[in-house]
Amino acid sequence: MRKRFSVFDFFELFTIIITIIVIIFSSTLILAIVLKGLPYLGEAFYSEEVRFSIKLSLYTATISTVICMALAIPTAYALTRTSFPFKKLCQIIIELPLSMPYLVLGLSLLIIFSSDFGKALKSMGFKVVFDKNGIILAQTVVNLPYVIRFIRTAFEEVDERLEFISGSLGATKWERFITITLPLSKNAIITTIILAWSRGLGEFGATLMLVGATRMKTETLTTSVYLNLATGDTGASMASATVILIISLISLFVTNWIGKKNTQESRMKDVKSW
Amino acid sequence: MVNSMVEIKKYSIQLGKFKLKNINLNICEKEIFAVLGRTGSGKTVLLESVAGFYRSFSGEVTIQGQQVIDIPLEKREIGFVYQDFGLFPHMTVYDNITYGLKIRRKDKEYKKKMADRMAEILSIGHILNQYPGTLSGGERQRTALARALILEPKLLLMDEPFSSLDPATKETMYQQIKKIHEIFGCTILFVTHDFNEAQIMADRIGIMVNGELKGIRKSADLFESYQDEEITEFLSGFQERRMCI
Ligand SMILES: Nc1ncnc2c1ncn2[C@@H]1O[C@H](COP(=O)(O)OP(=O)(O)O)[C@@H](O)[C@H]1O
Ligand SMILES: [Mg+2]
Repeated sequence: MRKRFSVFDFFELFTIIITIIVIIFSSTLILAIVLKGLPYLGEAFYSEEVRFSIKLSLYTATISTVICMALAIPTAYALTRTSFPFKKLCQIIIELPLSMPYLVLGLSLLIIFSSDFGKALKSMGFKVVFDKNGIILAQTVVNLPYVIRFIRTAFEEVDERLEFISGSLGATKWERFITITLPLSKNAIITTIILAWSRGLGEFGATLMLVGATRMKTETLTTSVYLNLATGDTGASMASATVILIISLISLFVTNWIGKKNTQESRMKDVKSW
Repeated sequence: MVNSMVEIKKYSIQLGKFKLKNINLNICEKEIFAVLGRTGSGKTVLLESVAGFYRSFSGEVTIQGQQVIDIPLEKREIGFVYQDFGLFPHMTVYDNITYGLKIRRKDKEYKKKMADRMAEILSIGHILNQYPGTLSGGERQRTALARALILEPKLLLMDEPFSSLDPATKETMYQQIKKIHEIFGCTILFVTHDFNEAQIMADRIGIMVNGELKGIRKSADLFESYQDEEITEFLSGFQERRMCI
């Protein structure tokens, strides 16, 4: 007779064991920061420096996410819904930075913005190198290819026949996009926003190259971890790290929570497993 | 002379391994034309071609004398009922049905009035607040029909529009579509693999065999003798069943 839960399904057992190993590994990582950092957390919030870096990080990550989305949504639309010459090549160029180390990306930004072009911008009042703008720029450049790829994939997954039907019912391309494509990729877009935002918060390499690490000036949370560790203030370093961790956890929960919504659109809402 | 609504001339299209070969067809205004054929014979591709879904093909498809792909999609005034219904999954049945009216900026009362009328005709009043994902096959089909019919299109393309309805509902649907056809005077091109349905509904019938449209006939003459062996073979299956009835 077949048992309901067969313990002898080696394949399932194998996957479960591997999962447990992964869980132990990740929770150790998280615990290390939390246990070490928690005692300093209260103190950290009174420290002007940590408060400054929280504000700077939240501000720059938010602005860079907005810029990324504003650039990525039209680009992803063009890449998936229009035809123009050398599209494949364009897509490769756009996603090329995905494979580049951030340090190198930061270096090329530094080269561009310390050139005459950058100096001209600076004289017109737009400072990049060693400035807040530079942090936003670094985060945007690092995140943009990711964001474009995610949104492109989301748009690709929308059935183009639905857009065709919408068009045959009288909707212009813009209306088709607003009423069909965008709502149907809503979850993916929200997830991408959160992801871009938390990646912006965690950006370090490119930022360091472009704006350096100056206390109370270009000190983001990650820079704060680095600066404090370098000067031997482990406590402050841990506190900043814990703040980053908390923000990441919150965004992770929000992402998961969004993934669970919209069940009324399906028959499967009450069915957990079959 | 009767005006022609859809004109297909020497139309061919290659999709992967499949080829729609040299289609020639003239559908008159207010005519109901049925395409009969086996699964995979290219019926859906033909309908999509008339709707201007594809961009690279040879030959031409015109609607009221205009090349279909030269008309912007939103101005083609085509009602398209897809085989898999193509309902918008993120909208309720009501929002699906009234989508075209919303796009046309019709006011709330008008939308409500029209939706109620369609719901009455197709008896879907009880599911207006449900999402397509929760509907049965027949309910989806009727929703897709309502969404297309509500705009009173001049050309209605339907891909096996009655396939998942029960016999009783089918009968009412035939009557309703015919009534809608009379009231609005639309031209209808539809696909089916039910010869009975084709004969009840259509003025003329064409038979699709392996990507070719053969033996276009008045529907009363469907079972007259054909020169073509493939058609004879295709129809013999139907005829045997008809003998049994
Ligand atoms: N975009 C496509 N690419 C490749 N093959 C296709 C495409 N669309 C349809 N086909 C093929 O063309 C044939 C006819 O399809 P279809 O018109 O849907 O058949 P049916 O008569 O059942 O509606 C099928 O074999 C299908 O696999
Ligand atoms: Mg088909």
